[in-house]
Amino acid sequence: MTELSLRLAVSVVQIAAVMGVVMLTVMILTLAERKVLGWMQDRMGPMEVGPYGILQPIADGLKLFFKEDIVPAGANKFMFSLAPILAMVPALIGFAVVPFGPSHKVELFGITIEPFVISDINIGILYILAFTSIGAYGIILGGWASNSKYSLLGGLRSAAQVISYELNVGLAIVGVLILAGSLSLVKITEAQAGGFWHWFVFALPAPQIFAFVVFVISAVAETNRVPFDLPEAESELVAGFFTEYSGMRFAFFFIAEYANMVLVSCVAAAMFLGGWNAPYPGTILAHVGLEQVAWIENLAWFTVKAYAFLFLFFWLRATLPRLRYDQLMKFGWKVMLPIALGNIVVTSIAVYLFPRG
Amino acid sequence: MKKLVAWFKTIVFYEILVGMKATMSHLLHYKPITVQYPHEKRTLPDNYRGMLGLLRYDDGTEKCVGCDLCEAACPSRVIRVVSAEVPAEPTKRYAKEYYMDMTRCLFCGMCVDACPVDALGMSREFEWSVYDKRQLHLNKEQLLAIGDRAFPVREKRLELQHPNVAFFNVSFGHVPQKPN
Repeated sequence: MTELSLRLAVSVVQIAAVMGVVMLTVMILTLAERKVLGWMQDRMGPMEVGPYGILQPIADGLKLFFKEDIVPAGANKFMFSLAPILAMVPALIGFAVVPFGPSHKVELFGITIEPFVISDINIGILYILAFTSIGAYGIILGGWASNSKYSLLGGLRSAAQVISYELNVGLAIVGVLILAGSLSLVKITEAQAGGFWHWFVFALPAPQIFAFVVFVISAVAETNRVPFDLPEAESELVAGFFTEYSGMRFAFFFIAEYANMVLVSCVAAAMFLGGWNAPYPGTILAHVGLEQVAWIENLAWFTVKAYAFLFLFFWLRATLPRLRYDQLMKFGWKVMLPIALGNIVVTSIAVYLFPRG
Repeated sequence: MKKLVAWFKTIVFYEILVGMKATMSHLLHYKPITVQYPHEKRTLPDNYRGMLGLLRYDDGTEKCVGCDLCEAACPSRVIRVVSAEVPAEPTKRYAKEYYMDMTRCLFCGMCVDACPVDALGMSREFEWSVYDKRQLHLNKEQLLAIGDRAFPVREKRLELQHPNVAFFNVSFGHVPQKPN
């Protein structure tokens, strides 16, 4: 009984820590996106709240929290309230299986805990894919329940887009799964240890570089970001599926979008870029004899990789215009899908001929 | 060969990479063109046309003779003048009431050009946003106040001080009469 409650307490602490970090990252991202976008477009971004606008996320959060909560006339009230939660929870729940640091175990009060992953389940990546699909329901329901044509169109577009591109995400990672021989993100990351030439983007016998490109493009599409932001196209659909949302419910959709970005970045870092592994064998701190704190270096590498990926999101947004709907579908089904399928075939043959030791 | 190059450019997203290089170069050579407006302001050009105001002579009398030409010249029907005789001086007239509905004004300056006695002037004020748009329906006192604070030195065109012109003004005896 005491062991159970102890395990529960440890899990709750871990969940609270990860949630805190994710929410902090979302706050930083909202500011960083506006700043980076501004700098790339010869503007300054937010400058009013605090020095150089660094308190802008807090001001935004307070504003959204105190804003009036409007339910439009004719909206399905239950679905309207459910949709933001259905969008946000799956985005946050995926972090449960992401390994943020090395997977050594710590003995604490007689139980073994893994400090850098909440739960190492053996189908980790499948679990993430399953829950990100549920996130699409939130968007579709939000669009339908608003009783507005813009919302409905945004929701429909989102449904078609997420389904088409989730297929590509799923197929793009199959090559990695073949190489790693596991669905657990912890095992996949561990299989990439020992220098950047062991990362699955470059790993022999089958470098997953094409799969990585497919994954990046599909991830951008799946998180409804520019250039695939058709569900919330401002110039056509006002704000897409969250046109009618305001206040906290809008904030939930907003957090869901950014949490999805963070999750996708973490998955990309863990599956293709070696996760918490440094791009050289071992860690510098371990080499100089500080094995106890080597996890700091690993954690830093994971953060750097995830943030580099997030920067790519902003960079693409500053550069590219929005795709047309038929272009989006054509690109997804006629270009990305064959590449992902071909990658699976090539990887399978390569791994069969040159089995990994 | 040409086809091969085009194909290669397509698969490596050459055009997108060029665009991303451009945005990145703007990020690295960061020179914002933003003016942080309430904290720093642009220098206005010399011929800036801002808020309209009614002017006075140096002695404090109004220049306006109530001729209605500004009302006629205004393309947006901003101005409404109620003209009246100066008490006890039948040859002279003045604007008994003078209204400007600045919600409609497009700051073309035609009323200033039309005024024969140079009684209207355009100041360099532009920060006139208000919460209640009825506050932009200005009467004569408010317009005179704008003119007073915008033109401390009132004489813009000295030739209008000539007695031939000043004769028509509301001088109440201070401006010299037309010599007989």
